[in-house]
Amino acid sequence: MPDSLLYAVALVANLTGLAWLALSMDVHWEQVRGPVPAPRRTVVLLRWLGAVVVASSLAVCLSVDHGSMASLVWFMVLAGSALTIAFTLAWKPRLLAPLVAWVRGGDASPARQG
Amino acid sequence: MATITASRLHIVARIAAGTVGSYAFTWGFIALGIGLLFAAGMPFHDAEALGYILGFIVLLVAFLWAFCAASLVRVWLVLAGGGALMAGAASLVQKALL
Amino acid sequence: MFPNFRLSMAWLHTWFGLVLGFVLMVVFFFGSLSVFDREIDRWAIPQSRFEPQPMPSFDRILLPVFKDMKPTPEAIEQARSRVDGPMAETFPVQRWGAYTTHRDPVLGLFSGHELPHAKNKDDSVFGTRTIDPRTGAALPDDHLKIGSQFFYPLHYSLHLEWKNLGYWIVGFAALAMMVALVSGVVMHRKIFRELFTFRPKKHTQRSALDLHNLTGVVALPFHFIFALSGLVIFGGIYFPVTHTQLEPLYELHEKHEAQETGLPHEKAGVPATLASVDAMVAEAQRRWAAKGMAGDVGFLAVQHVGDANAYVSVYRAGTDRVTLTGEGIHFKGSTGELIREDPPVTVVAGINNFLTGLHLQHFRHWLLRWLYVLGGLSGCVCIATGFLFFVEKRKRQHAKQAVSGARWVDAFAVTTVTGMLIATFSMLIGNRLLPTDLPARGTMEQYLFWGAWVLACAHAIWRTAPMGEARMSPAWAEQCWTAAALAVAAVLLNWVTTGDHLLRTIGSGYWPVAGVDLALLAAAALAVVAARRLRRRALGPSVQAKAARSPEVANA
Repeated sequence: MPDSLLYAVALVANLTGLAWLALSMDVHWEQVRGPVPAPRRTVVLLRWLGAVVVASSLAVCLSVDHGSMASLVWFMVLAGSALTIAFTLAWKPRLLAPLVAWVRGGDASPARQG
Repeated sequence: MATITASRLHIVARIAAGTVGSYAFTWGFIALGIGLLFAAGMPFHDAEALGYILGFIVLLVAFLWAFCAASLVRVWLVLAGGGALMAGAASLVQKALL
Repeated sequence: MFPNFRLSMAWLHTWFGLVLGFVLMVVFFFGSLSVFDREIDRWAIPQSRFEPQPMPSFDRILLPVFKDMKPTPEAIEQARSRVDGPMAETFPVQRWGAYTTHRDPVLGLFSGHELPHAKNKDDSVFGTRTIDPRTGAALPDDHLKIGSQFFYPLHYSLHLEWKNLGYWIVGFAALAMMVALVSGVVMHRKIFRELFTFRPKKHTQRSALDLHNLTGVVALPFHFIFALSGLVIFGGIYFPVTHTQLEPLYELHEKHEAQETGLPHEKAGVPATLASVDAMVAEAQRRWAAKGMAGDVGFLAVQHVGDANAYVSVYRAGTDRVTLTGEGIHFKGSTGELIREDPPVTVVAGINNFLTGLHLQHFRHWLLRWLYVLGGLSGCVCIATGFLFFVEKRKRQHAKQAVSGARWVDAFAVTTVTGMLIATFSMLIGNRLLPTDLPARGTMEQYLFWGAWVLACAHAIWRTAPMGEARMSPAWAEQCWTAAALAVAAVLLNWVTTGDHLLRTIGSGYWPVAGVDLALLAAAALAVVAARRLRRRALGPSVQAKAARSPEVANA
C-alpha cells in the first residue's frame, strides 16, 4: 500500500476514534443527537471504541515509518484530528451523526418528532 | 482571579528569588550531575547531555516551586543554598577525578 | 504569596504568559516558517531555484573554494573585543566544513580560522560561502537567505547578538512556555471533559478562552517538547558549566578522547598535503552500505587543515530518521587511511540526538513537516487568544477606571500578531522590488522588515483609542486587510519579477516556490475572513441581529 494511503487511513482512524471519544461526553452527544443523553452502556462502548481505533492508528503509522518518526507523526496527526473534531462540533455537529447512527435510543432529534 | 495581598515589592522580590534561585539550583544540579555521572563511567558528552536534559526539567520545577513556597527565606535557602552545596560538591568530585 | 497552589499557578500563567507571550509569538511564528526555511530561501534567491543536489566532489569542486575562503569582515569585527591588542591581518585556517540536506540546492561551506592573540585560546573566527554545487560558483554574499539566515535566527536569537542577549530572552521565554503549560493544566480543571469544547458563537471572552484551551491542550506534547528541546540545544549557552567550573574535567576528557579515538586534538606543526577526499567519501559510503545503511553524505569536515595531524570526517545524512547525522567515519588527511569508524551511539546519546533532531528536523518527511507547521501555528493561536482573553476580561473594567493597561496590551497584541505578518510580507515584497545588484541588498531587506513592524506598532497604538471606551480596536481589522493585500502583492511580484507564476511552478512540480506562493495566498484568504468577522463583531449586536433576520442568513 502506498505511504500516502496508509497516512490517510491513520488520519481517518484518528478522526473516527476521537469523534467517538468526544461523543461519549453528554455535551457533544447532545450537539449531534439531541437532548436525550446516551445510555451508560453506549458511553462506555464509545470510549473503548475510540481508544482502540486511536491506538490502531499508531500501529498504521508504525507500519510506514520506523519507531521514532512514526510516533511523532501519530502525535501530530492526533493533534490535527482533535482540532478538526472540535471545529466540526462547533460549526457542523450533524456531520458526525453517521458515526453513531448505529446507536439506538437516546435520539430525540426534531426530524423524528415531525 | 482572587486578588493577592502581596505588595509590588514582594512580587519583584519573589520573581528575583525564583529566577536567580532556580538558576543557581540548576547550575549546581548540572555540575554535580555531570561530575558524578562521569565519575561513574558514563562518557563525558553523554553525562553533559543527560545533565542538560534533566537540568531543564529541574529548572522548571524549581521555578514553579519558588512561587508556591511559603516564604522568600525558604526559597533562597533551598534554591540558592542547595545550588551552592551541589556546585561545591561538584568541584570536590572534579578534584578527586583530576 | 498565595493562599493556595492553584492561585499561584494562575498568577504565574497570567503574568508570565502575558509578558513573555510577545516573545513567544515571534519564536513560534518564525519557528513555523523555519520548517520551510530552505524553501523560502529559494523564493528569495531566484538563482537558487533548481533541484536539491547531493554533496559534490570535494577534490574538484569544494577544495578550490575552501582554499580561497577567509573569515568574514563581520566575524572579524565581532571578534575585536575577544583579542588582546591589535587585530591580526591573517588568520591561519584550522578547519573546513560542508553540510547539506535533501532540501538544499545550494551548498553552505564554512571555514574556521585561528584568532591570533585571542583571550580564550580555543577561540576562532569563521568564514562562510554559498556555492552552486554543480559548478562551484559562489552566490553573492549580500543575497540574503531570508528563510535560513533571517527568519530562522530570528526565531532563536531575535537577532540580538550582543552578549547573546537574544538567546537569553528566548531561553527565558521557553522556560515561561513550560511554566505556562504546567500552570495551564493545573488551572484547567475540566481538561478532559472540555477537550473538544469550542463555542465560537459566544462572546469574545468565552470563545477566545475556548480556543486558547483547545490549541494549548491538543498540541501540548508538541509545545512542551519543543520548548524543552530548544533549551537543551543551547544548553551550553545557558549553563556553560563545562567551560567554566568544570573546564579542567572537560580538558581531561578531551585528552582521553583524542587518545581513545586516535583523532588528534592539536595540530602537529608539520605541514602536509591532503590526500583524495573523494576516495575517502567513497570508502565511507561503501562501509555504510556494507552495514545495510547506504546513504548520502550529510556533513564533511577537515580538521587541522594543511597539517600532518589533519583528519577528514564523513558523516551520513539523517534523511531517513530523526537524528541529524551519524555513522561518522574518520580518515587520516595525508594518506586517506581509516582512523576510526564511530561506534553505535549509547542510549543517552540516542535520546539527546532524538530530542535535538526532533527540533531541528533535517529528515525527509513532508507530512511531518507540515504537521510541525500546524503545531507551531496552533501555538501562535494559543498565545494570541491568550492576549485576546486578557484584554476582553479587563477592558470594561479598565475603561471604567480610566486605566490604560488593556489598551496597551491590545496594541502590543496587534503588533505581535498582525504586525508581524505585515513585516514578513513587506520583506518579501522588498526582496522582489529591490534592484538585484544593489550593494548590501540583504541589509536593506532587513531594514524593510523592522521598519514595517515599527509602522505597524505605531498604527496599532494610534488606533487602540476606542479601547478607552471598551470597544474593539479597529487596528485588528485594518491590519488584517493590509496583511492580505501585501501577501497577494508578494505573489504577484514573484510572477512579474521572475516569471515563476503558480501555474508554471505547480505544473513543473517545483514545490518550494509554489508552496511559498500558495501559503501566502492562504494567509491572505485567512486574513480577509478574519477582517470580515472582526468587522461584524465591531459593528455590534444590533447589526448582527439585523443580519440574522435577513433572508440569506435565515436559510443558512
